Formats: sequence, C-alpha cells, structure tokens
Amino acid sequence: MSGLKEEPRIGVFVCRCGNNIGGVVDVSGIVEYAKTLPNVVHAEENSYTCSSEGLSRIKEAIVRQSLNRVVVASCTPRTHEPLFRAICEEAGLNRYLLEMANIREHCSWVHIHEPEKATETAKEIVRMAVAKVRFLEPLKEPEIEITPSALIIGAGVSGLTAALSLSEQGFDVYVVEKEAEAGGLLTNFHTLFPSGQDASDFIESIIEAVKGRRNITLLASTVVREVRGYLGNFEVVAQQINQREVRLKVGVMIVATGAVPLESKGLYGYGEFEDVVTQLGFEQLLKGGLPENLEKIVMIQCAGAREEKGVTYCSRICCNVALKNALYVKEKKPDIDIYILYRDIEAYGRGYVDYYQKAQERGVKFIRYTMEKPPSVTEGQNGKPRVEVFSPTIGREIDIKCDLVVLSTSLIQHQAGRDLSQTLKVALGSDNFFLEAHPKLRPVEFAQEGIFLCGTAHGPKDVAESMTQALAAASKASIPMAKGTVKTEAVKAVVDEELCVGCGACVAVCPYSAIEWLSFGQPKVVEASCMGCGLCAAECPMGAMQLRHYRDDQIVPMVDSLFESKRATVLGEEPSVVCFACRWCAYAAADTAGVMRLQYPCSVRLILIPCSGRVDAVHILTAFARGAEGVMVAGCLRDGCHYIDGNIKAERRVDAMKKALEVMGIEGERVEMFFISAGMPDRFVESVISFTDKISKLPRLRRASQEGGASSV
Amino acid sequence: MYEIASKKELAPDIKLLEVYAEQIAKKVKPGHFVIVRVDEKGERIPINPASCDVNEGTISIAFHEVGKTTMKLGSLNRGDRIANLVGPLGNAAELGKYGRVLCVGGGVMAAPLHFQATSLRDAGNELITVIGARTKEQVILKEEMRRISSELFIVTDDGSEGYSNLDFLEGLLRKGRIDRVVAIGPLVLMREVAELTRPYRIKTMVNLNPIMVDGTGMCGACRVTVGGEMRFACTDGPEFDGHLVDFEELMVRRRMYVSREKIAVLFYKGLGGCT
Repeated sequence: MSGLKEEPRIGVFVCRCGNNIGGVVDVSGIVEYAKTLPNVVHAEENSYTCSSEGLSRIKEAIVRQSLNRVVVASCTPRTHEPLFRAICEEAGLNRYLLEMANIREHCSWVHIHEPEKATETAKEIVRMAVAKVRFLEPLKEPEIEITPSALIIGAGVSGLTAALSLSEQGFDVYVVEKEAEAGGLLTNFHTLFPSGQDASDFIESIIEAVKGRRNITLLASTVVREVRGYLGNFEVVAQQINQREVRLKVGVMIVATGAVPLESKGLYGYGEFEDVVTQLGFEQLLKGGLPENLEKIVMIQCAGAREEKGVTYCSRICCNVALKNALYVKEKKPDIDIYILYRDIEAYGRGYVDYYQKAQERGVKFIRYTMEKPPSVTEGQNGKPRVEVFSPTIGREIDIKCDLVVLSTSLIQHQAGRDLSQTLKVALGSDNFFLEAHPKLRPVEFAQEGIFLCGTAHGPKDVAESMTQALAAASKASIPMAKGTVKTEAVKAVVDEELCVGCGACVAVCPYSAIEWLSFGQPKVVEASCMGCGLCAAECPMGAMQLRHYRDDQIVPMVDSLFESKRATVLGEEPSVVCFACRWCAYAAADTAGVMRLQYPCSVRLILIPCSGRVDAVHILTAFARGAEGVMVAGCLRDGCHYIDGNIKAERRVDAMKKALEVMGIEGERVEMFFISAGMPDRFVESVISFTDKISKLPRLRRASQEGGASSV
Repeated sequence: MYEIASKKELAPDIKLLEVYAEQIAKKVKPGHFVIVRVDEKGERIPINPASCDVNEGTISIAFHEVGKTTMKLGSLNRGDRIANLVGPLGNAAELGKYGRVLCVGGGVMAAPLHFQATSLRDAGNELITVIGARTKEQVILKEEMRRISSELFIVTDDGSEGYSNLDFLEGLLRKGRIDRVVAIGPLVLMREVAELTRPYRIKTMVNLNPIMVDGTGMCGACRVTVGGEMRFACTDGPEFDGHLVDFEELMVRRRMYVSREKIAVLFYKGLGGCT
C-alpha cells in the first residue's frame, strides 16, 4: 500500500547500553528473535550502539548487506535519533528510513525487577519498530530562501527598539502602527522610573532615530489585516485607515503590540467621579504641571488586578509607577499627603527597594488592605472623594477625605492584540497576552517559525525589560535572515487527491492555515507553513490527508504487529494497552519515568506520534479490533500543546470515540485522554497503573466474529 | 418506498439516480430540494434535484459519495427502493429574465445548476457557464451545459482541464457583460464568487447547503446569517443573496459533526482500507 519500490532489507541493531539494557533484558534473545521477523536480513547486538564502534558497525552493515531500512533498539529517539539518522545518511541511506525501538526508557529501566517480562516486552517493541520501518519512505528536507526583511507590528518602545536593531544589522524593516503616531504607551507618560527621566524626551529620541534610518519604513494608522505564508516568505496585507491597502513581503515578523491599562468604569468610582483617575491619567495630569490645590492623594494598588477571576496576575510595574509618582509629588510639594493603599508592595528589580524606602522616608503613608475587605471610594463633602479602608494592621477602618484618587490598574491585552492573534494564528495565554513557545528555551518566539514577540504584548513589564526583550527578539529574528536559507522539517501533510472529497475539514482544523482551499474544494498543503502536527490527517474523513513519516499505513502496521503473534505467557494476564504518546510531552514524560527508574506494569506499549491530535479513529479502532483491551491517548497539558490546541482536538475525538465504542458494545471507558507534560513522569506512571487497573477489572473483549463493527479482522 | 428508475455514473464517486416520485415531479422547480432517507434507520440528507420528468413521473438526484449515507445511496441499483423522498421543500429559485446570466457550478452541484440554468435559458436569458471540479475526472455535465450556454468555461483546482482558478472571471465582470450570477457548489466556491462580484454589485444568488434535519422549519439546524439576520435555509432559502451571507459562520456550523461522520464512514467500510 505504501508503494515500496524495493523489497525492504532491514538491519536491527540491539544495544546493551552496558548494563542499562543488557542487565535486565536478554539482548541476545532479542537479536535472535529479530532475525525471525519479516524482511530482517541482519541483526546484531552492540555494547553501545551510539559509540563510534557501534556507529561504524551500522554503516558497515548498511553497505555490506545492502540494508535499506535500519532499526536501532536502544534508547529514546528524542535524544539519539539525530545521531543514528546522520550515520544512515553517511552510509548513503535516507535519514528517514530509520526507526528506533525504545527498549531502555520504556522497558529495561521501568521493568527492572521483571527481567523475563521485560525481555518479552522488548521483543514486542522491536517487532513494532520493524513493522513500521518496512513502510517508511525516504523524505527530503526542503530548503527555502529567506526574504531579508522584517515586519514589526507595533511602534511602541519595544517595536522601535527591535526595528533599530534589525536596521543596524542591515535588514529592511517595516513598522506598522495602528495609532496615528509612533511611541505607544510611553507618549502618555510623564517620567520614567527610576531615573525620573522625561518620558516624552526619551521616546522622542527613539522615534527620531527610527525616522533617520533609511531602511525603516514606518506605517502609521495601519493595521495588519491578513498574513499568509511562512518563515522566510510572509505575505502581509496591511490596511491604512481611509487609504489603500499595502502589501508587504517579509521574511520574519515581530509582534510588539504592547498592552493598555485597565480602565473599568465603576472600579473604585472610576468614570463616575471626576477625581478618580488611573496612574496613566495622573501622568497625563502631571505633564501639565502639578495641579494646584492638591492636599491629599490616595493611590490604590492592585486595582482590578490579582483577583480570583478576570485579571489574576500581578502587573509588576504598578508598584514602581506609584512609588515614582508619589516621590515626584513629594519632591515638588513635600506637604502634600500621599497614601498608598496596597496589598503587597512588589518593588522587585534592581534599586527599587531603595525607592520604596525613600518613599517611606519622605513621608508617603503606606496602608495595607486585604482582598476580602478592599477600600471603598464614595463621594464625600464638596464632591471630593472619600476613601474608606480597613487596615488589618491596626484592626480598624480608616477614613480619608482626599482631593484625588489614583488607581494603579493592571495592564491588559487589547482587542487589537486579540484580533492579531487570530490573524497570525499565534497563541494567547490564559491571561490573554501573547504566549511564547517556551518560557526558557524559546522565550521571544512563537511556536510558529519566523514569528517573534517582545514587550508588554507578552505580559506586563517595564521599559528596560521591554527593550531588553526587543533586542533579544531582533537578534533571534535576524538569525534566519542572516543565514539566507533554512531547512524545513520533512514531516509534512500530504493529500491523496484521488481519495479526497473536498470537504474542507483539513483546512478548518489546521492551526497554521497551512492548507489552502482551492475554488472547487481541493485542499493544497503549503509545505513551508506545515508544522507536521498531523491534525488534518486525523480529521480527514476519507483518509486522503496523511502526515509523512506518520501515515496511517505506517502507524497501523505497528498496531497490527503488536497483536499478530500470541502474547508470551510470561506476560501473564495483564490487559494489553496501547498508548499513543505525543512526542513533546507524554512520550517525554515516559522517558523521564525511565530515567527516574519509576516502575510500572508491562501492559502498555507506546506509539510515538507528533501530537495527540494526530490520533485517528482508525488507529483506535484498529487497536481494539486487533487485541487491545484499552487505548490511552496522551498529549500535553491543556494549554501546553506544542501545536496550539491539538490536544484539545484529540480530547474531542476521544469523546466521540467513546460514544462510538458504546454503540459497538465496547465500554467507552476503554479509551481515555490523558494530559501529561514532559515534566510529569509521576503522572504518566500513575496514569498507566490506574488505567491498566481499571481495564483489568473489565471483562475481556470478545473479538473477531463476535464483535459488531470491529469484525473486519 | 421510491423505486429507482435508472442509475448513471457521472464521474468516479458521483452518481445520478432517477427515482419514480410522481407527486414531487409535478411540483418541483429549480432551487427546491428534497430530503432523502435511504432506509428506515438512515440519516436524512437534503439534495437539490438535477432534473424532473413530469411525463415519466421521475426526478433525478446527483450526489457525491462522501459519507456513509451517500455511499449507501450509491450502492443502490435500478429497481431498488429508497425508504423516503420528501419534497419539494424550500423555495424555488428566482427565474426572471435578466439578460446575460453567469452560472457557476462546482463539483456535483453542477447537476442542480444545469436544472436551474435550463429554466433560466427558457426564460429568455443568455448563459455564460462555468463548471468546475477539483480534477478533470470530476467535471460533470460538460456537453449538457455546452448545449444551453453561449460560452462555457471549465475550471479545475489541479489545472488538469481549463483554468486553474476563477481569476479569469475578473475580466468577464470588468467588461460589464454580466447582469446576474448564480453560483451553486462548495461553500468555498460560492464565497469566492460572491467576493468577486461584490465590487461590481452584480446580484449573485447562491444555494446554501447547511446541516439540516427536518427541512420544514421546525428544528433550526439549518440556520444561517443573511444580512445580519438569522434565516432558515430550509424555509427561507435555500437560495439567498450571496453578498449578504455569512459564509464563515456557515462553514464553522457545517463542520459540527466531522469526527462523527468519520467514525460512521470507518464503520461502514469496516475500519477503512488502511489495514
């Protein structure tokens, strides 16, 4: 079915990994067993297959025995696959004709006390790998050219800083700003902390520098309406207000759309009383000089922030902003009374605690309040605000009649930012700010290649942090442009036009808009945009859409082979469970469980998939039809999918599958979705144990002719 | 029970069934639809008739075998019987004399388009016809369309026959030669045609095919947003002004049962052909 051109000649290399594998399982037994498998023409054991000697033996065998497929039975492909792939390539074999059987992390390390069972388990794992490798196809990693220009969305301090950096590196830069003027939030500020520098002067100097650069094009009053393409070749349609649209071609994009302060009507009388303003409003007031007749100011911290629902996070900058403004007022007019009502003062960062102390020394009064008893702002005499607050420190209510209430409200994502996340198809976090691909390893880029982020679009931060992040994003974004070309992943979706009926399910499910829908319903995969999650393949009702290297006719043979021979009696009565494990999370958690030597029953066999969203109804049904008693689909944590929301789609499919199984007379609980991050080996093990336990209490499935829908075996 | 009078394969997986249904044949007009239920436990699917023959008392339906129900329907032969055929439902299409009408039909929907186009021609219109499909194998009723049109264009997504996209329509529209447009086919096609004609303000009628249950305005499953208002495709349509239809919403609603449809097909085929 997979259209093999030549008969597979498979070589199996079983690694002892010193005692790691060899000390538990009977490696020689596995080698002998492997020799009996179809198309295996060579099998051998190595002390360490990854050593230079082991590698040269693979190379030698490929050449001498004319191997066209290789199975390495050793450790996890997540760490060692690149090494073995490279060796295959050196020997003239396409790097995608290798399959690894993970008999260390998923076998010898987790079944240490059951060597006999572990050996049989390892045989099954090898058998599955041999079954898959027979159907693997050689793949190419296409190289694409990178357009050496960047689009920066947002001309605030972050966007402009990034623009300057890229411009200085010699790249053309387009900066799109939805407002009429560049500068962002900073144009409304009065001064900056901790230097007290004039905010307008500061941002103006940056804007001037940007305007002085020939290779920066600043497009004001412009929004990004449509983005197509992929790393290296983004086609952007931007709309200038009341003007024509602008079409840009860029290689990379940086999102620097910033944030806005919460302005919620009714919050502590905001929008109802004239004398209640936000810190930003206060800054604007100060720009015109300190107002006359101010005697008493009350600042309320965490206004609409760190709540149980809604804005749950700390906006980080508001404490320092309040301290800065309080100190400024005190410097100008020391006799003005300033009260700062706070829950916790978060004067984090270098030098800011000194700032806090200075404010105390200058006589700013700090009054703590609790979330349970927040302050209240009402209209007092002469129309002036009256603030009442319960101080847990002194245990009673304090009543302050003041001239001005300043709310330190949180920074929030704006509607334009949310819209942009849809246009770019990039993720937002639960706080609605843009979400980076990984907080430590990929902090300034999105999961989608070629799109980067910086500044408060990513979450509240101060000017210095925003600029630092902007420089980091610019630096990251310059890498592909400097290289000029980039090699893309070979694992891509591919459509069989004969089978396709043009329903468009794949187009809709693709998280990256990588599938175009032509006029009469033909889907077309834009290879450079495809990230290889396989969601489309699982969604396709006709089996027409497939994911290379994880095709149905490569995955299903693994399931078939697991059940094709009678299970060894030593494996006993344990129910057989197939676990489809996401490469990024669940499979990694299983690896870590091995590293930690956590022990679990030999019941479960893992099948590596790029995303739980790749798991297809046909995979699950085949598993049940062939002999599985239970099926686990294991993906990343709910908001942690590597492909945006593949795991959520997987969960939906599993739910549909449960109902379908019930119709067939199979208990729906036999298939289950699990959310396990790479750092949760405990949860993985616990899931395997409890699921196996649950399944073993169910009566064994009757198969073949007895079963309704699954009887096609 | 409705007996099948004849069966024809228009293209691979696209079949045309002629069914004895005297009462429907008397009343059905282009734009109407019928609801078919293959057998007693079958799903109800709406189909736009491709023709009717009052003398013989038959109507014909064309369908693409894309799911369990259409596959079952496609497995029937002459002499076999369909459990139910309800219709005509919905409203007949507007068939006035407009002048020069551009008819665009995609895939299997070229069949009901032919029904409608024939009536439009009989009403005194000149027809410019575009039929298209994903590949040239799936282009149907080419000769029949040519007979009633002054010009015929073929479009295929893969470029295997005729044009490979609809960009050429720009030229036709710009010349101002078109008085009215009728588009029937995949949602993506109808949306594209409506977008192409919008700048020229040429009335563009589309025939919508949302998920339906009863087809008589009771269930509300087929609701679509047209001109900002909620309408039922079954009783208010299925023909609407394409410039007013919220296609995006309709596309999302149409995909409601994709995963269940997939499982149904797998069961019907006995796990699919992959194993």
